[in-house]
Amino acid sequence: MKHHYSTVRITFLISVLIVLLFFLTVTSLFAAAPLPQAEIMRLGERMYREGILPSGTPMPAFIRGDIEVDSRSFSCSSCHLRAGLGSFEGGVVTPPTTGNKLYKPYRRPPSLGDKSDQAGRFIYAKTVLERPAYTRESLATAMRFGTDPSGQTFNDVMPRYPLSDHDMYILISYLEELSSKPSPGANSGEFKFATIISDDVNQEDRQTLLMPLEKFIAQKNQQMGMYNDFIKFGYTPTADMQFAFRKASLDIWELRGPPETWKEQLTTYQNNNPVFAVLGGISNLDWRPIHDFCEAERLPCLFPITDFPVVSETGWYTYYFNKGYAQEGEAVASYLNRLETLPIRTTILQIIQDSPVGKTLASGFQNSWNELGRPAVITKTLTTNELRNKATLGKLLKKYKPGVLLLWTDAELLTNLPKLISQLSDPKMVFVSSGYLGNKTSTIVEASRNKVYITFPFRLTPYVGPKTGGFDAKVPILTGSKDFGDRRIASRSTTMLQQATLQGLNLIYDNLQRDHLFDVMSMQMDVVVRDYERLSFGSGQRYVSKGCYIIQLGPGVEPTLLPKSGWVIH
Amino acid sequence: MRLQFIIIVPFLLLILMAIFLPATSAHAVSKSYKRTVEKYNIPDIALVNQDGKKVRLQSLLTGDSPVVVDFIYGTCTTICPVLSAGFVNLQGKLAVTSQKARLVSITIDPENDTPKVLKEYLKRYHAKPGWDFLTGSRTDIDIVMRAFNAYIPDKMSHYPLNMIRSPKDGSWIRLFGIMSSREFMEEYQSAIVKQ
Ligand code: HEC
Repeated sequence: MKHHYSTVRITFLISVLIVLLFFLTVTSLFAAAPLPQAEIMRLGERMYREGILPSGTPMPAFIRGDIEVDSRSFSCSSCHLRAGLGSFEGGVVTPPTTGNKLYKPYRRPPSLGDKSDQAGRFIYAKTVLERPAYTRESLATAMRFGTDPSGQTFNDVMPRYPLSDHDMYILISYLEELSSKPSPGANSGEFKFATIISDDVNQEDRQTLLMPLEKFIAQKNQQMGMYNDFIKFGYTPTADMQFAFRKASLDIWELRGPPETWKEQLTTYQNNNPVFAVLGGISNLDWRPIHDFCEAERLPCLFPITDFPVVSETGWYTYYFNKGYAQEGEAVASYLNRLETLPIRTTILQIIQDSPVGKTLASGFQNSWNELGRPAVITKTLTTNELRNKATLGKLLKKYKPGVLLLWTDAELLTNLPKLISQLSDPKMVFVSSGYLGNKTSTIVEASRNKVYITFPFRLTPYVGPKTGGFDAKVPILTGSKDFGDRRIASRSTTMLQQATLQGLNLIYDNLQRDHLFDVMSMQMDVVVRDYERLSFGSGQRYVSKGCYIIQLGPGVEPTLLPKSGWVIH
Repeated sequence: MRLQFIIIVPFLLLILMAIFLPATSAHAVSKSYKRTVEKYNIPDIALVNQDGKKVRLQSLLTGDSPVVVDFIYGTCTTICPVLSAGFVNLQGKLAVTSQKARLVSITIDPENDTPKVLKEYLKRYHAKPGWDFLTGSRTDIDIVMRAFNAYIPDKMSHYPLNMIRSPKDGSWIRLFGIMSSREFMEEYQSAIVKQ
């Protein structure tokens, strides 16, 4: 015990000495660092987001009293979030940390956390209800020693940062700029939106996408009118109401010609009339040029209808429903990986139709399979013509005698399935994609159905709409074979609008920063929607539906869908 | 020169304070967490660890060495860093005296937390062997949370919780709240010396 206390004291002593040392070596407190502004912002952002000091070394911090942590594990943005406007998570209220808010006196709105023990739970609200405005000096003290300008000490969650004056100058300069201005495309009275449609999309799909969007904009503007009348008649709006009513406009960004030219077209649109966010959109081609544009512009793009999203762990500015075809391929890898009945030596043959769909399904499978540490499978990419020639596949099967066949091909091959299956060795399993086969999926011949495993990335359990509204509230909607090939454009666009507004735009209040919109949206609870079993969120999570069933078909022309796996397979 | 001296004064004072800080002063402060001693029935289910291996929860949690359990998730913002910093610290402290403990984090976001996400999380915190991070089907995770009387219907409304199992009698010290590293260490020690 005794030994333990002295370690605490020594650690504390050392940290104080470190700070002291900096004070001795750096003579000027807050004299401008000799760096261009852009460089200060870049370095400050790296400290704030990645926990790396301007010198490139990890930023040291002390948490829960004396635990020294490496800020690469978690940094300011973990808790205060990217836009710096704070968070509420796990019972902990993390206050804003932007210059705008810090340099003003702060009075925390009363909250549940005012009682430290709520029904047996501790809530770690900000310890102080009220504090005076910070100055640069008191802000530095707050970060070094954990006390606010009135001398109150922060709770154990906020780390202490022994930073040199030089580094502190950079960090504070960054905080001063952070979320200091509204993002383009928004002001207190209006949001400007766009949606994106590429010219390969047919007229019907285009209309299906636009209908709910245009209705949404019309509604917003009509509500705005009602709200104005409401005020005219002398009612005082509540704080929330002010922010729920804003005018809205929608531009349609049409993309024409080859995807290589999209970036230029998008830039022109955005320069002519900057928007705050892109509400959905649709393309049958690779979404990458749009994804990259939104990353570069830091422009939110919310839930576009695409089967070719960019699968990336670091992408920030596009929310996708899921990983599209890649997710179907991944599901097969996870399923096979967990299949205990599969003999270890089973040969897996992967046939890829040389098309964007075939290749994306295969890359989803392969990436996952590699990550699982499995040996490469035999892979053959065939042109559509080669595939149509029955002999080509027959030869391959004869040669490799696979027990598992991954058939990333379109529906043309379905009639040939019984023949193919007869050429497999045990356990004779064939995997196909319901996305690629579309509405033909249900035509798989009955005799083969118990050998064919189908990826299905949509809801299977009955969907019951929200209790509070909608005419579909009471009748559970059941997924059936009729849903193969459904593009789900209208339902998913409606989900997108609910997400964007109810969970995003209405909750950002007067903090009109695009990053804040993402912070708010990423901290929401799970939601159950019509097309997917569950959407779930979290900081940096950008594919909100994580599941994909492996199913088989029951008998008959309208077969029931029989799940062979859970929604998510680990 | 003079300016520098003025700046130094408060630090000197702080150093003096640190040196003479009475070792017991912290006891005067009321505890910021709630402590109970519990018995739990660990369900006999299989979860998946950061290496993608299936592990039986019962055998993992009921060995001869002390076990510390918490519920976190890969993309959690505020309290998981705090809890995980505690785990890292505990591992470091125990390593010094070559004590062995099993640290087990269980995800409450099983859909997103694939073994890969778990592995990266542990790496980010410089976890050493002996700290496992588990995922599984949502049904199994719910069973585990219920077994520890810690059912969290939605990950966004989770709360800071640590459970320490005494190898002596299999009882668990349940710690609700965020505590200083010293308090955590004291609780840990009290669990393992328990009769
Ligand atoms: C582990 C979570 C966490 C991390 C990491 C973190 N903070 Fe905090 N921060 C908090 C919490 C919680 C509070 C409120 C503490 C209290 O009031 O008792 C806080 C308070 C503050 C305050 C005081 C705000 C006020 O209104 O008084 C500032 C300024 C601040 N943090 C800046 C930072 C900066 C800059 C970083 C990174 C260098 C950082 N924080 C890292 C959680 C965190």
